[in-house]
Amino acid sequence: MDLVVFGIVWIIITAVAEWLMHHYVGHNSMYFLLSNQGNITLHAFNFLTTMLIPVFLFVIWFLVFSAIRFHANSPEAKQSRHQFTKNGLFTGVWITASIAVNLLFWLHPTAADLEQMFASQLPSAQRNDLVVDVTARQWEWIFSYPQYHLTQTVNAAGQDELVIPAHKKVQFVLRSYDPFHTYDVEAGVIHSFWVPAFGIKEDVIPGETRYEYIVANRTASYQTNPEVRVQCAEVCGPGHPWMEAPIRIVTASQFHAWVAKQQKMEAASGA
Amino acid sequence: MAQNVVATNTHKVRVMPPMLRGFLWAGIAFLLLNSITAAIRPDVGHPFFTEVSITIGWVGAVIGWLLGVGAYEGMVLPLFGVTPRVGEATDWRRYFAFATDHKVVGIQYLTSSGCAFILAGGIAMTMRIELASSTMYFFHYSDQYLSAVGVHGAIMMFSVATVALVGGLGNYMVPLMIGAKTSVFSKLSGLGQWLIPAGVLTLAFSPILGYWTTGWRGYEPLGSQDASGIIFYYLGVAALTMSSVIVSLNLVVTIVFNRAPGVTWARLPMFVWGILTVSILNLIWLPEIQMTFILQLLDRLVPLNLFNAAGSVLTQLELFWLFGHPEVYIVVVPAFALWNEIIPVMAQKSLFARSWAVIGLIFVMMLSGLVWAHHMFTNMRNSEMFPFSFFTEMISIPTGFAFMAAIGTLWKSRYRLTTPGLLILMSIFNFLHGGVTGVFLADPPVNLQVHDTMFVVAHFHYTIIGGMVFSWIAAMYYWLPKMSGRMYNEFWGKFLSIWIFIAFNTAFSTMFLVGLEGMNRWVPTYPPYLHPLNLIISIAAWTLGVGFVLHAVHIVWAWKKGPRAPENPWNGHTLEWLTSSPPPQHNFDVTPEVIDGFYNYGDDADPIVANLSELKPKQT
Repeated sequence: MDLVVFGIVWIIITAVAEWLMHHYVGHNSMYFLLSNQGNITLHAFNFLTTMLIPVFLFVIWFLVFSAIRFHANSPEAKQSRHQFTKNGLFTGVWITASIAVNLLFWLHPTAADLEQMFASQLPSAQRNDLVVDVTARQWEWIFSYPQYHLTQTVNAAGQDELVIPAHKKVQFVLRSYDPFHTYDVEAGVIHSFWVPAFGIKEDVIPGETRYEYIVANRTASYQTNPEVRVQCAEVCGPGHPWMEAPIRIVTASQFHAWVAKQQKMEAASGA
Repeated sequence: MAQNVVATNTHKVRVMPPMLRGFLWAGIAFLLLNSITAAIRPDVGHPFFTEVSITIGWVGAVIGWLLGVGAYEGMVLPLFGVTPRVGEATDWRRYFAFATDHKVVGIQYLTSSGCAFILAGGIAMTMRIELASSTMYFFHYSDQYLSAVGVHGAIMMFSVATVALVGGLGNYMVPLMIGAKTSVFSKLSGLGQWLIPAGVLTLAFSPILGYWTTGWRGYEPLGSQDASGIIFYYLGVAALTMSSVIVSLNLVVTIVFNRAPGVTWARLPMFVWGILTVSILNLIWLPEIQMTFILQLLDRLVPLNLFNAAGSVLTQLELFWLFGHPEVYIVVVPAFALWNEIIPVMAQKSLFARSWAVIGLIFVMMLSGLVWAHHMFTNMRNSEMFPFSFFTEMISIPTGFAFMAAIGTLWKSRYRLTTPGLLILMSIFNFLHGGVTGVFLADPPVNLQVHDTMFVVAHFHYTIIGGMVFSWIAAMYYWLPKMSGRMYNEFWGKFLSIWIFIAFNTAFSTMFLVGLEGMNRWVPTYPPYLHPLNLIISIAAWTLGVGFVLHAVHIVWAWKKGPRAPENPWNGHTLEWLTSSPPPQHNFDVTPEVIDGFYNYGDDADPIVANLSELKPKQT
């Protein structure tokens, strides 16, 4: 009888939770994402949530059920009526299910998604739509566009600014050093290149060059959503909290107009 | 000067209070070694205090402190065949000096850990004050905030989470639970306890040498360019980890060699299994992190360029997490063991699937050394992601065995929802959140998004506060009648438990959301759109902090003034309940002879001890 009540309520609350998750949370997205990589992340997140809701609610509901149904009415030590130390069916199902669920998670989403992610990083998959050199120094993100001979792009306020076109594959080349250091440009610490809206971050490590590939799938900017920003995610000293830069994701024609303006500015400043 | 009068066998001797003498000797040793270093240093004109001289002076200070609190009489003089003028005190003063009775040492450890918990918790409160606003208004400079993060993390990890259940309850309970009269290397544990105040004070005062910004992980090359305060981070952690290493050595040897007749491996109590596995983890991994921090210290003092762009930055990260992930199981494995120690007693029902629960502990112990690099998915080659995500997901299988045993025991039981019983259920509830969010973190694509965000901060606070601290408080209430002979107040115990449960879950479930919405770690300021949720977290965190302090007040009150407790208030079957409360110096007048397991309940359960009538008669 306990088993039937427990099971039925478990199924009901699981169904309700799954419905809520898919009608509200799943569609509103857990976080704001607008890249190809972000889609992979979001699907993985939602898949894991879908699969874990029954597991999670099984234990939570069990704890609540025990506290209601199995609590003793007095603090006196009275032996429980039912005494058993094993139940082959329960143990067998539990162990088999936990192995199966974990293997499943490793195959999907982990292995399946990583295969997609790695494929986008293969040299044969590169079209060199746009290359952006990203230099992390203490404490600034410097963006250079070698294809357009831009050494450091800034906005009207003089702040470093990252502008990329939507629907183009962007290769970010990530390095940590300090080109403005007076005597030791190799001095650098670990930073982490993170754009929350891209759904991925990559640590930027002194002495290493790393790559990240992103296709942004719509236009946006820091003004339309504050998650469209470059944020250093790895603590890098006292300036870490302010090591951020706004991003604009624009159309191809807006991008070319912006490049022309930047080239003019750099020519004017003699850079 | 205040002087103690210590009674010895023959006459009374006036001695300086040991802790005062410890401070004095520490100060003298520091100045002495610092001066020698300054004197022999070849370059002329350097300041009197340098990083090198402070490091060497600190080593002297710790040795002076340990000798001063009583290791001189307890360990050094006997080594040379000299009988010390004074022995260990027998009254309350023994709690304030080097001691060898495992129960005294256990209480000393619990006190040290408890004070460190309140201290580092208070530091967390200052962080939450700062984060209640999106701009800087409490700290003046961000490196003050980052130092607070580092000191909070290091004290909590190395002197609370690693210590309270092992050095504290492990020292006190393990010999009792296996029917031993003493621990084997009782002087080691006695010495280890006094490394805790040394390490905690070193960490707490590290900012006097300059603010350091790395947090408790001490990542390089940031650490090498930080102010000198980070030296006290390396040294403080060295003292604290050394404490856990020597305590673990004592506990492992005690469990292997000092079990009463009949306490076979198959009958070993669950909590003892937990302490055994965690002690082995300590013995394997703590020396590894000690060597890493020594390398980092030398890298800075010499300097060696081991871990900057000229050396290998990633090596330091790998070495840190090689220890760092076993560390989280060092924290939580004794908590798993406590669940299945306390649930059968509160349910008065036989422990379900005991062998699976033990296998779970052992496999968690073994697998924990194979998963470290999942802290570094943002740093690794693609090919490495597969094995590390695989092992990380697999470790949830043995972890699940602890849940399975708990659930099987609760099913159709008569569970007494006493304060410890309630807290254990809360601990399972909380740890489940930590475990389930851990599955998300094990998936590299999700990890690459939420790594280094408040999502991760919420995740590990769920496992450590939610899992370990809730279990710790549960165990304090559970064993309070044993350790003090007194009982707590059931209303206040439950009321405060519900208080911390609600405050904890409000604070840290909201923290998952700010992480998902793009809040990174180690920041005293953040974009304004994150302000409302952070304000909720701060209010709830403060409520939680007050709740913890009230629990501490309640436990201390009950310890001193609570009503007298019956001899075996929960009707537990483990051996610690077969002696008086608090237990006499050598625990048992007669060594118990165990003839059955400790977790069998029911009317037809066999007797557990053969010589029950010879053991100390029950007081009424």
